[in-house]
Amino acid sequence: MEMLLEALTALLTFESILTVLVGVSAGLFIGAMPGLTATMALAMLLPFTFSMEALQGLIALGAVYMGSIYGGAFTAILINTPGTPSSIATTFDGYPMARQGRAYEALAAATIASVVGGIVGVIFLLILAPPLARLAVAFGPSEMFWVAMLGLTLVASLSSDSLLKGLLGGCIGILLSTIGVSPVGGESRFTFGYPPLQGGIELIVALIGLFVIPELLTMAAEGRGALPGGSELRKKEVSIAKIAKHIFSKPANLIRSCLIGQVIAIIPGAGGNVTSLVAYNEARRFSKDPKSFGKGNVDGVVASESSNNVMVAGSMVPLLTLGIPGAPPDAIILGVLLMHGLRPGLDLFTQSGVLTNGFILSMGLAALMLLPVGLLGGRLIHRVVIRTPYYFLVPSIAMVTILGTFALRNSMLDVGIMLILGTAGYFLRLIGIQAAPIVLGLILGGIAEQGYVQTLMAAVVDPIPWLRLVSNPLSMVLAGLVVLGAATALVPMWLARKGLLDKVEEDSGGSS
Amino acid sequence: MIVRLNTDIAAGVLGLVFGALLWFPRADIGRLSIIFPRAILLVLTLISIALIVKGFIKPSGRQIEISGSPRRLVTVIIGFFLWWGLVEVLGFLLTTLLAFFALTWYLARVETVVTWQRMLTWTPVILVLVGVFYLTFKEVLNVRLPSGLFF
Repeated sequence: MEMLLEALTALLTFESILTVLVGVSAGLFIGAMPGLTATMALAMLLPFTFSMEALQGLIALGAVYMGSIYGGAFTAILINTPGTPSSIATTFDGYPMARQGRAYEALAAATIASVVGGIVGVIFLLILAPPLARLAVAFGPSEMFWVAMLGLTLVASLSSDSLLKGLLGGCIGILLSTIGVSPVGGESRFTFGYPPLQGGIELIVALIGLFVIPELLTMAAEGRGALPGGSELRKKEVSIAKIAKHIFSKPANLIRSCLIGQVIAIIPGAGGNVTSLVAYNEARRFSKDPKSFGKGNVDGVVASESSNNVMVAGSMVPLLTLGIPGAPPDAIILGVLLMHGLRPGLDLFTQSGVLTNGFILSMGLAALMLLPVGLLGGRLIHRVVIRTPYYFLVPSIAMVTILGTFALRNSMLDVGIMLILGTAGYFLRLIGIQAAPIVLGLILGGIAEQGYVQTLMAAVVDPIPWLRLVSNPLSMVLAGLVVLGAATALVPMWLARKGLLDKVEEDSGGSS
Repeated sequence: MIVRLNTDIAAGVLGLVFGALLWFPRADIGRLSIIFPRAILLVLTLISIALIVKGFIKPSGRQIEISGSPRRLVTVIIGFFLWWGLVEVLGFLLTTLLAFFALTWYLARVETVVTWQRMLTWTPVILVLVGVFYLTFKEVLNVRLPSGLFF
């Protein structure tokens, strides 16, 4: 407790508060640019922290991390482009809301959810770090396989038109993730004799292509902007107090999403994208009106944004206690810790307790800072998108996406892959194969493959090798959750197809 | 534009073609590297066949609708690929300026008549937009953008 108070005193200085403010603003700007991820934001800022003291450097990085994850929601809502992979699920309802003239409502909901998520993550990190870290190391290959499968049950929820087409999209995504060097065997696969393909298809490249290019092509073909005009926007604008009331009056969604965010965040390798997708799926599943998800339900935005911001501090649990990065950006934070001679483990909470607690508390301050910075920045970016004529908007977005895609690996091949996937995505959408299941397959394919192959390798002498996937209680529980998840997604679809759901709704409507 | 197409059969055929594309080169790949993709390829094939069968028995959609102008759609797709292809030759800055001007001119014609005077008034905006992003990525973020034949 003494260390915590000492850390709080060190944090509440003008210099530290300014560092958090600048860090959050910089992170928000970078996160809002399609193609620039939180990892890139941290990597770009890293050289600036070399000259800073350890605490200031960590405060700056924590603030940028928090700001960039939140910043991803801006473009997700305004132009259907997840600024960071963590905001994929935000596009599902955020963009439809924006198209209905409810962009500010979506942005404000994302801000409130992000602030709450960020603070909850910090509280979790402070209180639950040691016991949760012990649970994280229990996740072996078979458990990781089931975690990936759990994420894939979301395909069923995302396939409102046709489950088969959703599954086909998921399989295409998984197969795209297998292009390049195999994570277990180490061999090149499906490169067709073209060596640059050995690097595989970068997730963010596919993400930009599949989400941005179809939207740009639609805008160009229809001759319209990304969002309706200003008059419609003002007509449907609601106050921040009303949005806050809506979120906090039904806190179950927020609490559930934060818990999901925290649990997944401590599993090494599962980043904010998995977190937000699973939280979104559960919000949809538990909603009284699941059909409205994907069509502009604010609860979808809240679920996605709260869970991915919980992940920011939550993923520090395995990092600070075991030295295992919970998400890719954490690897950079680990580098900074090591650079300052700080080794993850018990010492970090005892010998360097003030520094560690100061860093953790600074993330809480960064989360609070999202509110003023986000609401002001949100209005500004929103107005720019609304007022820009579409003939400027289309080339501008195209330029930023090309730049962002190229900057990932300095590769024009990536830009070509992005354009090919984007154009294919446009035509696939016409025949009912949506981008979301493909992206989901691409994200989870790698995790599932590693878990699956490593488990089968360990079970090579077993009579039935695949039984190793359910050989311990934790994987059995996870497998059970997968079955349960698939069943709760499929049963309502089956009932709806049989017309039984309408009958139940009519009955309940009649009796009330 | 409405195009008559059985979307289930189209999706199934597409799945089979994509699967075949990855199925044939699999022979050169070792067991550990192919075990997972092979399982997914099998699932993909089954789903594709199921979609084709469903397309014949109970199709979900018999037409697709391309909203807006198909001509503009194709032109913009070609424009994007030209933009990409010319970057290595002319450099990022010059290609982007050319592509930006061309796209703005082409798309603005939907709403209004685009005169030379109008294009001239837009020029500073386009130059600033492209210039700011070019300099931010090149000088601040140290991204080595393709320079091509010029700069």
